[in-house]
Amino acid sequence: MVQSSQLALNIKNFFIEIGELAYFSSRFFRELFSKPFEFKELLRQCYNMGNKSLGLVLITGFIIGLVLTIQTRPTLEQFGAESWMPSMVSISIVREIGPIITALICAGRIGSGIGAELGSMRVTEQIDAMEVSGTNPFKYLVVTRVLATTLMIPILVFFGDTMALYGSFLVENLNGDVSFFLYFDKVFHAIEYSDLLPATIKTFFFGYAIGLVGCYKGYYCEKGTVGVGIAANSAVVYTSMLLFIIDFIAVFITDIFI
Amino acid sequence: MLEEISNITPKFNSEIKTILEIKNLKKSFGNNQVLNGFNLELNEGENLVIMGKSGSGKSVMIKCLIGLIEPDSGSIRVMGQEITTLNQTQFDKLRSEIGFLFQGSALYDSMTVRENLEFPLRHHKERFEKNLDTTAFVEEALTNVGLLHAIDLMPSELSGGMKRRIALARTLILKPKIILYDEPTSGLDPITSKEIIQLMKNIQKQYKTSSLIITHDVDCARVIANRMILLIDGINYVEGNYDTLKNSSDEKVKAFFK
Amino acid sequence: MRKTSDEKLKLGLFVIIGLLLFTVAIYLIGERQNLFGKNDLISVKFSNINGLKKGNNVRYSGINVGTVESISMLNDSIIKVDLLIEKTMITHIKKDAIATIGTDGLVGNMLVNIIPGKGKETSVKAGDFIKSYTKIGADEMLNTLNVTNENAALLTVDLLKITNSINQKKGTLGMLINDSITSNDIKKIIINLQKTSYNASKTMDALTTKIESINLNESVAGILVNDKAQAQKVKNIIANLERSSQNINTTLDSINKTIQQIKNGKGAVNYLSTDEEFAKNLDQTIKNLNEGTYKFNQSMDALKHNFLLRGYFKKLAKEQEKVEKERLKK
Repeated sequence: MVQSSQLALNIKNFFIEIGELAYFSSRFFRELFSKPFEFKELLRQCYNMGNKSLGLVLITGFIIGLVLTIQTRPTLEQFGAESWMPSMVSISIVREIGPIITALICAGRIGSGIGAELGSMRVTEQIDAMEVSGTNPFKYLVVTRVLATTLMIPILVFFGDTMALYGSFLVENLNGDVSFFLYFDKVFHAIEYSDLLPATIKTFFFGYAIGLVGCYKGYYCEKGTVGVGIAANSAVVYTSMLLFIIDFIAVFITDIFI
Repeated sequence: MLEEISNITPKFNSEIKTILEIKNLKKSFGNNQVLNGFNLELNEGENLVIMGKSGSGKSVMIKCLIGLIEPDSGSIRVMGQEITTLNQTQFDKLRSEIGFLFQGSALYDSMTVRENLEFPLRHHKERFEKNLDTTAFVEEALTNVGLLHAIDLMPSELSGGMKRRIALARTLILKPKIILYDEPTSGLDPITSKEIIQLMKNIQKQYKTSSLIITHDVDCARVIANRMILLIDGINYVEGNYDTLKNSSDEKVKAFFK
Repeated sequence: MRKTSDEKLKLGLFVIIGLLLFTVAIYLIGERQNLFGKNDLISVKFSNINGLKKGNNVRYSGINVGTVESISMLNDSIIKVDLLIEKTMITHIKKDAIATIGTDGLVGNMLVNIIPGKGKETSVKAGDFIKSYTKIGADEMLNTLNVTNENAALLTVDLLKITNSINQKKGTLGMLINDSITSNDIKKIIINLQKTSYNASKTMDALTTKIESINLNESVAGILVNDKAQAQKVKNIIANLERSSQNINTTLDSINKTIQQIKNGKGAVNYLSTDEEFAKNLDQTIKNLNEGTYKFNQSMDALKHNFLLRGYFKKLAKEQEKVEKERLKK
């Protein structure tokens, strides 16, 4: 009995959270289109999220491309279809692996960062201080960050994809003496707009989710240092979950229309 | 030293003007009735100290004043304007006349001291001429708190007392008519506390501000208060100057001065 | 202040490089789908496009010259495929070029192959229709030919064996016929023969139809001739056919001999003639076989007259002449 009521409470809390997140999201759009616009802070956040995540994304992308190719090669070799390697790897990278891996990495780095930063700002009354000094903290902190992730994640994904393809090329080159131009000719022969564009649109939503959940968790952080930890942690967990849900929906929609 | 400070008393105008007025303020969180009909009047140029136990609702009251918490009922008039009827722009404008010193200083961690001080200015530039030289303002405020050398340091490089002084400088930079101090000496050692109190007095003299000081530090109250209000059980339990309250026979009042 | 302008520079670089990567990708993909540059549209009508999709490549003599722009049904059996061809390549495509649908490798994408015509016609212009040929039919045909061939070869080998044994061992004939088990076996063989020869004649029919369909579209022959692998396949088939037909001829000869002998024979004739059914079966078999070979010969004729194989037969005739000459010399 106790357990079932606990479960009911958890479910209720879950829906409350979803509702709050939806409200938070709608507030984001309301504030996004009202003046003033914190352009300078947006640039700063873009720099923090874009440039500073670049190294991580490049390394991860490179390794993923490398590993994917090394793992797939034996199977294709059995069919004598090594020449299909570039097309196969490139499609899986561009459609799925590049976006989701980059987004997950950024959820870990940026999402938790936002959660912790806003959380500690809330706890140490910095958000209140901002409000008092006439700056709308939602605009200054949340809008800029969510916008920055929404804009930066797609660009990071381009970098990640490129690096993954390059990693894949290296393996091919070492194994089969495939030239750079042949490899990328094959890659771009295999990829179509119907691969690249839905995947790119998807990444905007990924970025939006990372920023939104991170900000939501941080902005409504509970008091105390424990609250900050929870905010950072749950930001990553919720974001990762949300990323897969968005990915599922995106694939579903792509499948229907293309 | 302390005696000296206590001798410095603000000059009162012949006509006493109420700059801030709270009537019948009520606020509850869930079942917890924190403020239950609180009344307050702050006269121009006065240092009003509000004392109360922690959790008695001092911070809630002061946050209602500045719009960080919305009261359940009651009237708050600041310089003749009822804040609950103002729109955001009007309220922001009014708020620029009110300085707020946060309990934990609430300096923006991600910004240098200079940026911290510039922050309130950027949103209240309309109060000054258009191409405002913020550097002069920042330097002036920092000189007032004696920390000009710290202008390019990050808040993490400052000691607690320095942070508090920088926070005070940030509050002063808009040259507010009213300053609200939320526990100005909390978390500081006695010597630093005295320095801060001294600073508060100097500022008052220099800028001719009215101050509302929330504290549970009796020494602080003794030095700075022109008038005191004890907040007990959510109401303004007793009012008077330091000496009258200290000699009160009421048990609840006596508890503060042991 | 210095720091922020530095940050701005880096951010700008980051964004520009990122967007550049994206633009390059967009351009490279687009280039391969001929979205940029100058293109002309020509159309082909197919009856079966075998899973061809918008965006598939178009090749002319193996060079990528364009992409499939759109696919639409004109009526219940004709599909119009619009091909986007690069302007620089379109002058090389003549009006008698033929479009076929093929695959890129064993498991690759579908593509449209344009096979050059004889080159006498003028170049196609935007909006023109070029002829199509559904290559799938050709594949099918070749497969059927092969099967037919194999069947024919097997049949003739069996027949040869039987007739040879009958011919060579005259003495055993009576014994064979007297032996009821053996005669039953022979009966069975003959029944089988009948069935086989019936099948043979049926496959011959199919073969003839196929070959006639080749004749219908002379230009298509060009495809097959140009396609080396296909040509080799056809050559093999024809060699087999030749062999089989020779075998069948020998078999028929020997069967005829045997029948003659049986007819002229004494003891055996009585036995055979009394068994009416057996005789009938045997007759039918021979009839079928004859019919089969007739049709076979017809097919061979058709093949010989075929543009595509004319060269081959000429070569064959030449070789025969050569052999004949050599023999004469000796």
